[in-house]
Amino acid sequence: MGWEEVQVHGYPEFVRTAQSYHGRPVFALFCGDKDAEGRSWCPDCVTAEPVVRKELHNLPDDSVFIYCLVGDRAYWKDPNNEFRRNLKLTGVPTLLKYGTPQKLVEEECVKAELVRMLFTED
Amino acid sequence: SIQAHKEEDNPQTTMEVNGLTPVPDSYDYDLIVIGGGSGGLAAAKEAAKYEKKVMVLDFVTPTPQGSSWGLGGTCVNVGCIPKKLMHQAALLGQALQDSRKFGWQFTEEVKHNWMTMTESVQNYIGSLNWGYRVALRDKKVTYENAYGEFVGPHTIKATNKKGVEKLYTAERFIIATGERPRYLGIPGDKEYCISSDDLFSLPYCPGRTLVVGASYVALECAGFLAGLGLDVTVMVRSILLRGFDQDMANRIGEYMKEHGVNFIREFVPVKIEQVEEGTPGKLKVTAKSTTGDQIIEGEYNTVLLAIGRDPCTRKIGLDKVGVNINERTGKIPVNDEEQTNVPYIYAIGDILQGKLELTPVAIQAGRLLVQRLYAGASAKCDYVNVPTTVFTPLEYGACGYSEETAVEKFGEENIEVYHSHFWPLEWTVPSRDNNKCYAKIICNIQDNERVIGFHVLGPNAGEVTQGFAAAIKCGLTKEQLDSTVGIHPVCAEV
Repeated sequence: MGWEEVQVHGYPEFVRTAQSYHGRPVFALFCGDKDAEGRSWCPDCVTAEPVVRKELHNLPDDSVFIYCLVGDRAYWKDPNNEFRRNLKLTGVPTLLKYGTPQKLVEEECVKAELVRMLFTED
Repeated sequence: SIQAHKEEDNPQTTMEVNGLTPVPDSYDYDLIVIGGGSGGLAAAKEAAKYEKKVMVLDFVTPTPQGSSWGLGGTCVNVGCIPKKLMHQAALLGQALQDSRKFGWQFTEEVKHNWMTMTESVQNYIGSLNWGYRVALRDKKVTYENAYGEFVGPHTIKATNKKGVEKLYTAERFIIATGERPRYLGIPGDKEYCISSDDLFSLPYCPGRTLVVGASYVALECAGFLAGLGLDVTVMVRSILLRGFDQDMANRIGEYMKEHGVNFIREFVPVKIEQVEEGTPGKLKVTAKSTTGDQIIEGEYNTVLLAIGRDPCTRKIGLDKVGVNINERTGKIPVNDEEQTNVPYIYAIGDILQGKLELTPVAIQAGRLLVQRLYAGASAKCDYVNVPTTVFTPLEYGACGYSEETAVEKFGEENIEVYHSHFWPLEWTVPSRDNNKCYAKIICNIQDNERVIGFHVLGPNAGEVTQGFAAAIKCGLTKEQLDSTVGIHPVCAEV
């Protein structure tokens, strides 16, 4: 069984995808968009992504990991963007367990211990 | 099966004590905290600051109805936090009514949805539970969701919900296990009644409710349930708010009565029976008078017991390590440094004998204790002049002596009480009561008319009281109070 990864871009695609996996544990990592060289405008996201990826093998069976690029810097800075308004995200990177209040924000995402706790504990 | 931790690995000599579990010279932890509530978490986080190896054990034994909750203790999960949020929900209902007089127009009937409120409250609590777990992990405090009990000197056994047992040793222990609601001990109480442990996560609206008890828990719950539009009755055995200033307690009761809460005084339930199953179902309550032979019956959807709380100290192996407890109450006597009769075992929070059962007190005691243990500090927790607030529909804030305790301690001729009714400006336009809000201070004539008691009944009583608590700590006198110019127009200027 294991777990699977889905990559999405932008809010509508994220919501559609998350809802399609209703019934399975869904984890999501939100990062700033990447440029042509594959580098995100968000420096914390650049640091956090490898840390998170290293812990993915700890995901519970049947989980879905959604890797979501939120948009460019200008979009993110807008206080009314849909991620802020509807998902109540306050910063990127954010790593969360969808449908629960469990999440890690910004510098919490670079701590392997905390990422592991989010993935493995109830 | 029990896994012994580290004892075989430890080549150093161990001490056999009375043939019980040997006491290792090097311990697994510097400090083990039993109980992850307000006091326990504050102490654990403080100890981690001083680079101590700390473990927190927290476990919630489910209620008879099956309710349970996450890390954070009573306050966060089934106490202060959800209570205040639901009290706020009720206040907002009142505000909606008032708003029409201020010009707001809406044609719809305003109704309350219990599930919407409860879901929001539980969601917030969930984020707090998670936040505590992140904080502990981040500070390298080991947290186990397991039931801790002493099995021998310096040794505890931790049992998780799957029944797996592990042994841990520590140089020192802090007991912070808190309390749980008491039951009546009558037929049907555990099967059919709920307590505050169940109320804040109840997955259905409680409906017509009987609240048994006259504690602040009983009155606060009765208050917000009525404020949300439910039919509420409070059954009181004798007096309201025992231990609080009785004049203020009676004013609170009067206000609640005038605002839709029914009171049945001087009766106690003797039997609870189920008339109909359901969520909620229908329960029949039979009650007996405390002053005669009269028996009454009533039907309610929900019966909420709020008759007191008992310390969780009887099943944690205290006898195995010789910690004294008050056999009647279960409370633990400690010295002014929160130390039990066993030098390496400390206790904080609601379980302490003779101390206030308040979250900020537990937190303060926990922090200062740890600072004394590991940071060479000497400050002790000050239990005097601790301010409190009761979040009944008409809120009550207090700091210092009640009028009756002041009279008892100083003599009636040596105290002076200054008091005043006040009418909050915000209540004038919607024509709300003009003679219910009330404030009084109690002064010690022999000590420069020092303010030794402060009591206020009115909106935002907690906010008002906090500042006065600081002033009282500084030795506020009547003269100083008189010479302080008031802020206008606010209730606090009275």
